Amino acid sequence: MAGVIDRYVATLTRDLDFDPALARRMADEVAAHLWDAAEADPAGPSPEAEQRAVARFGLAREIAAQFAADAVNRQAKRTWIALLATVAVTFVAMRLRVMWLSDVGDSLSMLAPLIDRYAFIAAMAVGAIGWFAFRRSVLPLAICLGTLAGSIAAGIVRAGLFVEGAPLHVLLAAAGEIALIGLLLCHVVGLGRFLRRTALLRRPG
Amino acid sequence: MLKGHLDAIVLAVLESGPAHGYAIIEAIRSRSGGTFDLPEGTIYPALHRLEQAALLSSTWTTPPNGRRRRVYALTRNGSARLAEGRKAWSRFAKAVDSSLGGGRAWPA
Repeated sequence: MAGVIDRYVATLTRDLDFDPALARRMADEVAAHLWDAAEADPAGPSPEAEQRAVARFGLAREIAAQFAADAVNRQAKRTWIALLATVAVTFVAMRLRVMWLSDVGDSLSMLAPLIDRYAFIAAMAVGAIGWFAFRRSVLPLAICLGTLAGSIAAGIVRAGLFVEGAPLHVLLAAAGEIALIGLLLCHVVGLGRFLRRTALLRRPG
Repeated sequence: MLKGHLDAIVLAVLESGPAHGYAIIEAIRSRSGGTFDLPEGTIYPALHRLEQAALLSSTWTTPPNGRRRRVYALTRNGSARLAEGRKAWSRFAKAVDSSLGGGRAWPA
């Protein structure tokens, strides 16, 4: 039958399931700490000493919530960096398309250039507001993701990249912005997951 | 209030040499004369955060007759951050002391 320390470590590992590598590491580290504490108990090693060691350690849920809050901060930072990179590459790709189109003539669609431009501007505006006011929120990042995806799709339609031949640098820039929007999507989903986990761990009961 | 300074306190404990989590929490309790008796588990998110920020490094060690433990050590960046933390705390403490009427006007 599992002892008090084993049960506590199992609970903490379960609460840290949002980061499996961290959960494995903490299982070993926390178990060593708790056995040290139980052995140092004035009454000597016993189930009661294990219980006291666990009580002094704090609630597994609260410790996991602190780890989750740090994970949110790190993930938010990575997501904002991904957004910045996506905006920069999208801008470069947009300029390359415009330069190419000025030589060969504009697109099949009247609407695409407008969406391309204004969706990009909207992403910049929402991104700036989000950075200053809602840095740890998923909403401005999700809006930026949507508007940038719209801008990229419109830009590709505008240039007719999928039906006509285009210079390699224009195609490479388009591939870069598609890859970065995929990366941004992964980061936004990851941030949402960490935020939900943190909220669950902080919920009483 | 302690939580806001926990990172600097952990760095200060590790200034005297590498240590594992249990030894760090014991050192904090001992240095503060038992005043900083925080839940022991609180130290691990702080250690992880400091390691992620490259202020600490860590390795697993297994003593000949003991259990496997992760030992933390201060990095060069960690030493620099500790020095900054000490200066900031010194300014803050002087300001509070002056505000409470226990010292000279600040800044002097």
